[in-house]
Amino acid sequence: MSETTFMGVPRDKIPWYPMIDYDKCTVCMECDKFCPHHVFDRRESGRVPVVANPNNCVVFCRACAKACGPDAISFPSKPETIALIKQIREQEAVK
Amino acid sequence: MKRAILSCNGLDKPEGSVAREVAIRGADATGSEIICPVLLNRAPARYKKVLSETSLIVVDGCSTRCATKLAARLEAKVERKVLVTDAVKASGQPLESTLSLGPKGLALAQSIVDELLRTLDAPAVAAEPVAEFETPTEYLVVTHDKFEFRIPVVDYVFNENDIWARVLDGVARVGISDYMQQKLTDINYFDAPRVDSTVEQFGELGSLESAKAVFEIVSPVSGAVTAVNQAVIDNPGLINEDPYGAGWLVEVKLAAWPQDQELLVDAPAYAEIVKRKAAEE
Repeated sequence: MSETTFMGVPRDKIPWYPMIDYDKCTVCMECDKFCPHHVFDRRESGRVPVVANPNNCVVFCRACAKACGPDAISFPSKPETIALIKQIREQEAVK
Repeated sequence: MKRAILSCNGLDKPEGSVAREVAIRGADATGSEIICPVLLNRAPARYKKVLSETSLIVVDGCSTRCATKLAARLEAKVERKVLVTDAVKASGQPLESTLSLGPKGLALAQSIVDELLRTLDAPAVAAEPVAEFETPTEYLVVTHDKFEFRIPVVDYVFNENDIWARVLDGVARVGISDYMQQKLTDINYFDAPRVDSTVEQFGELGSLESAKAVFEIVSPVSGAVTAVNQAVIDNPGLINEDPYGAGWLVEVKLAAWPQDQELLVDAPAYAEIVKRKAAEE
């Protein structure tokens, strides 16, 4: 299911996925209902949502954070992620 | 067109109290009617006439966006949306934690109303869109099941977040691909970026909403927003009808086009991406 590459970089080398602040999470599961890519799951934990499939997350998409009422979801910095993608692309180009 | 204000009641959160205050002050300042979300939900017929004659200013306290969802369910015409949690973040000032509004909450409510008054009747569009583009005529077509996704063969470049750019004279016109408009289904709101705001490549150029999703417009280019497509704000359905032509979203004066291009793909490469995405669904 997971995307294999993003901008030519293996998806699993790009650390872009939601992080859940469980102090804020109200277990409303809007994130899971919303995300069409099945990034979230509650089965592993039994109760709270967990980021079960981080590599399914669409790089630069932050839509679940916008759907989160208690503002419990955060993402990495975009500029840092872009810099990392560029760096990996350059390394791949040299090879 | 007359306006009405639909805000969340948000009685259990400080942000909801701000939303309520924005509705009261905003109604006074703009001469708009207030719609009670609870009554609207319980007895929509009460507001049938108002909804048919007005466009809505929708005010949500938190990202659960109850008022937005209610407006979407009733297919109301929405002119503007306000999300208090975004305004709190933008102000850099956390709200008081009490449900009764303190000085910070009241000041925030007033600043939101002031911003509404300042921008409601000001056109979002810069004088004229700079670029003169002809509608594409030749497409690559990716088929998946019964769906067909069109991709213009020439002039358009794409990022992997399904946004296109078409460049002329240092200005990029930006929109979403046919694949993404079909995936979102009927788009009912374009939250446009402000003209003159600057954006980095892969930064946010506003968002689109449909009954199905909120979609962040990930900018394919870096630069300054010079125009916003007012026709699409008035009628977001244009994006579904003509995503590469009349449904364009914004124009951006390019700041670093040579570098931006390195991270964009042409039509054949984007077609491969669409094929892969469609197959994964």
